[in-house]
Amino acid sequence: MTATAHKVCMLGDFGVGKTSLVSRFVRSTFSEKYLTTVGVKVDTKEIALPNGAISKLVIWDIAGRSNLDALNMTYLRGASALLLVADGTRERSLHSALNLLMQSRGLLPDAAVVVAVNKLDLVEHWEVAPASLVELRRTLPVFETSARSGEGVEAAFAEVAARLAA
Amino acid sequence: MSMLDLSAVPARVETYLRELFWQRVHPLLLTFDAGWHLRDIHGDAAHYGIDSADPAQGTQLLRDLFIGMPLDEPQDVPFVELDNGRSAHLHLIPDGDSFHVLLLDAETERERRRAQQQLGHEEALKSQAKTKAIGQLKQIRTELERQHARLEEAHALKNALIATMSHEFRTPLTSIFGYLQLIDRRAKEEPTIRDALHAVRRNATYLFTLAENLLEYGRSESSVALLNPTPIDLAALARDLEAMFRPLAEEKGLEFHVTLKLDDATEPVFDEVRLRQILLNLLSNAVRYTRRGEITADLVWRGQTFSADITDTGIGIAAAHRDSVFTPFNRGGHAGSKGAGLGLSIVKRLVEQMRGTLTFDSEIGRGSSFRVAVPLGRERANAHTEAAIAPRFWLQGRSVLVADDDPDIANLLQALLGDLGFRVRVVADAQSAVLEAMAGRPDVLLIDVELSGLSGNAAVYKLRSRGYKGRIVTLSATATSEAREAALRAGADHYLTKPLNVDQFVHVIQQAASADWDGRSDEPDDA
Repeated sequence: MTATAHKVCMLGDFGVGKTSLVSRFVRSTFSEKYLTTVGVKVDTKEIALPNGAISKLVIWDIAGRSNLDALNMTYLRGASALLLVADGTRERSLHSALNLLMQSRGLLPDAAVVVAVNKLDLVEHWEVAPASLVELRRTLPVFETSARSGEGVEAAFAEVAARLAA
Repeated sequence: MSMLDLSAVPARVETYLRELFWQRVHPLLLTFDAGWHLRDIHGDAAHYGIDSADPAQGTQLLRDLFIGMPLDEPQDVPFVELDNGRSAHLHLIPDGDSFHVLLLDAETERERRRAQQQLGHEEALKSQAKTKAIGQLKQIRTELERQHARLEEAHALKNALIATMSHEFRTPLTSIFGYLQLIDRRAKEEPTIRDALHAVRRNATYLFTLAENLLEYGRSESSVALLNPTPIDLAALARDLEAMFRPLAEEKGLEFHVTLKLDDATEPVFDEVRLRQILLNLLSNAVRYTRRGEITADLVWRGQTFSADITDTGIGIAAAHRDSVFTPFNRGGHAGSKGAGLGLSIVKRLVEQMRGTLTFDSEIGRGSSFRVAVPLGRERANAHTEAAIAPRFWLQGRSVLVADDDPDIANLLQALLGDLGFRVRVVADAQSAVLEAMAGRPDVLLIDVELSGLSGNAAVYKLRSRGYKGRIVTLSATATSEAREAALRAGADHYLTKPLNVDQFVHVIQQAASADWDGRSDEPDDA
């Protein structure tokens, strides 16, 4: 069966763990060292849907920033889904992720959106309050993730695939 | 800026430029038809990890890269990291029925940018962490200053009270002792007077002991006084109480009775000074706050427990003051009281030191009844624990979900909770705890913080971020305020530390279980 390919863009502030989430999802690896992303790194992974169909996610790991400029808009062209990533230990990064979503809506009005609040392994240091996610869940699917432990990572990408198939 | 006319460039320079271009940019040109079939390839394919003999894999990457983008419009995608780790600028150039993809090396520029960006991001992250830490430190300092000011104020007030009261007591007592000595010398031949004087001296001595109570409050609240249990004569104690308080009661027209039942052949062993202080304080209050009627003191030694019921027909204690009567320097307990507000707080403190229990009933205008029960000094610890884990009828049928991956701890918790009347369910990991709690909605979730895999705090956070409103008690081996704060911030209602203090555990679980599912109005408590 030929897999349907979808472009998925990782969006979020720098240092929230976008590259680490992709690395965990695609290669099951994690590095403690922070290495900033310049430009974009593209990875692909096929994922089986509950109905047996295969979905191919072409994941664009875009350099992190809190605002979209022309360059980022270039990277977003043709995306079917956005995986917004925030860092639970930095509440501001959640605001950035939502801000990026709003800015991208003009270019991608119909893109599927999933939110990953990353660094669950550091939950003791989280600034994002549980109540904030209760509110956010009313409008968007939200996953607490940990690229370090893998917690919630598969589930977040599976949700992206499910929404693309719907 | 005028363009360089290549036709005017000398051949040697043109060659030089061409070499420079190839060395720096490593251009690779691939030509495809509209169906992404490779027609032609020119340039340094190996530089980009593409096998020019079998370029299918590289072609697939390019197809993936241009997903969703129109192939009949020029596209420019800068800084794309390829499979071999190199960075390239990608250009799509439409050309009739076909199109070209041009790759230009961007590695040098990428690395330069990365170095700058890395430095900037690391500085920004450090700065954010620093700002956060400074904010937390400021908050802690403000809180500490506030607490310090409050403590200083309370401390100053306490010291002033102690100084004043001690002085107030000691001054007349010094006078009494002095005159007693004087009279005693002159009345040596009169046995009746001598006995009376001895009684006065004994009472004055007790009064002095009570004054010393005040000094006890000058010591640290947290310091635990060592008990001194010795065999005591309960009959003599009863006689002393009779001798001390009957005259005072009769002077006010009150009836006064002391009874003693000795139903246990075991020798009573208690800290006599503390036991006397307890009874003296309770009887002093009874006499002070009773205007008519009677006062009784029923003392019983039974089942290795000494109990005393001190009952009066006095002014009573208003329901509103029930919870505060044992607070030091509280004067609102007995209506119209003029005491220092120390008596009952001292009684409570002494009873607790002796591992006993203190209860009371009272009704405004009808009187009060205080009951003290103190276990035999030598066996106090066991008696206390057994009493603490006695089943409570109102916990019957309530449910607890226990999440602990240590089977021994899980079994212990199951047994303790079972004794308290709970229905208990045990899971061994945080993920199951989240699922079970969301599905089963137990009255209390008791979860270990240091679970392997997903931590207890993470599970609590996940539950709260999904709107879970049930009571959550976390259990941790880390007894620091930071760990407690983290657990409460994640959404726990209570934080307990290991090794488990059974009394605290019972207290916290009772508190948690008594709240309604939606009734999370109580303040968090780390017990």
